[in-house]
Amino acid sequence: MSAQINPDDALYVDMFIAKNAQTMNFIRSSYSAVLGLAAGTLGLTNLSGFIFYLLGSTFLSVLIFVLKTKGQSGLYFRKSLDVFTEGVTGGLFSYILFWTLLYGIIHVYD
Amino acid sequence: MLLDPAIRDWVLIPIMIVMVLVGVVRHQVTVLLNGTPKKADLKSARETKALQRCGLLRAHGVHIPEHAFHGRKAFLSEAFEKGTYLKETNTGNKPRGNVMQDPAYVETMMDGMKKNMMNIVPQTVIMGWINFFFSGFVLVKLPFPLTVRFKGMLQRGVETHDMDVSWVSSLSWYFLNLFGLQSVFTLILGSGHAADAMRDMQAMSTMGMGAAAGPNLSPTGQPQDMHKIFLAEKENLDLTEHEWGLENVETRLLVKYGKKPASVLLDQKKAKIAKLAGRQATKEFAAVAAPSAAAANASRKKGRRQV
Repeated sequence: MSAQINPDDALYVDMFIAKNAQTMNFIRSSYSAVLGLAAGTLGLTNLSGFIFYLLGSTFLSVLIFVLKTKGQSGLYFRKSLDVFTEGVTGGLFSYILFWTLLYGIIHVYD
Repeated sequence: MLLDPAIRDWVLIPIMIVMVLVGVVRHQVTVLLNGTPKKADLKSARETKALQRCGLLRAHGVHIPEHAFHGRKAFLSEAFEKGTYLKETNTGNKPRGNVMQDPAYVETMMDGMKKNMMNIVPQTVIMGWINFFFSGFVLVKLPFPLTVRFKGMLQRGVETHDMDVSWVSSLSWYFLNLFGLQSVFTLILGSGHAADAMRDMQAMSTMGMGAAAGPNLSPTGQPQDMHKIFLAEKENLDLTEHEWGLENVETRLLVKYGKKPASVLLDQKKAKIAKLAGRQATKEFAAVAAPSAAAANASRKKGRRQV
């Protein structure tokens, strides 16, 4: 039972927040998989691969921030910086998976 | 170092395909096992909704006029006190029966167990399969370096001392898949899918927080005394003071668009606090309620200013 109710919470509809987070996760999942494929094909190793991911996901965040939220991400997320952080760690795992897969197939086996 | 291409064709890619397919099967089986969600019966729905209604009134009470707020407050207080919305109307201390005989409780337990089984069985089977067939050789090279600590874990069964840690065995490829495929499942099964091993663990630890555990089950899974909850909610409601959201809205509007200095608002607030204090002194307030209500008022004012 919610004993304390923060009046500021009323500004956001939980359903929409969840939906937005879901959409962000969806975008990030597909994007980081593709990014991983690219990194593996390019044969990036060590730090350069992680920097590639960071740059790539920052680029995606900026795209969403500018094109989709029109610079007002506070309207769509509880914290306006959530655009840059939502789902980044989840995407990292699939990035590593596909990176390793393509790197292995192309650069390790003959 | 060169690896046999047959390893790629017969180990690396098959493991990944199998894991994706098992995830899909797991999702479908879970959907099958869960069946259609059970409808809550009228009485228990009413119980929950009454609480929700009270919460809404406390959160959004400022948006309705004062008399409407007080009407609702009185009504809900009385209803909670009398236990009008209780599922079982006899509010006396009835002896609580054995929990295991309550069908709703048993069903919740069974659901949790089913989910656990669906989680554990496929993982164990795949891990056994990989360990049985594919251990003892190097499968792939990770494109990033790892510390020597990982050597024992990632190269189990490969007895070489000098090999770089980034060459890993099939079991590490399995773990990489386990974590990395979560987002692939999100893509092919839609979000909220049941193939997500990580979410199951989270669900286990936070069970009872969401609606899944049922309205009248506490986090430990024990049924709760709803009348006590109602009384607590009534107490919360009693402490809620009404402050109309539209009060001196015209001044606020003018301040917002820069027609008046912001200090006007502050002066008004001070005047109002002084007036309120005077009124509260004359009014007969319960000794406990008055200070906390005043505190609630003060804190709300602070919040308003930040917005």
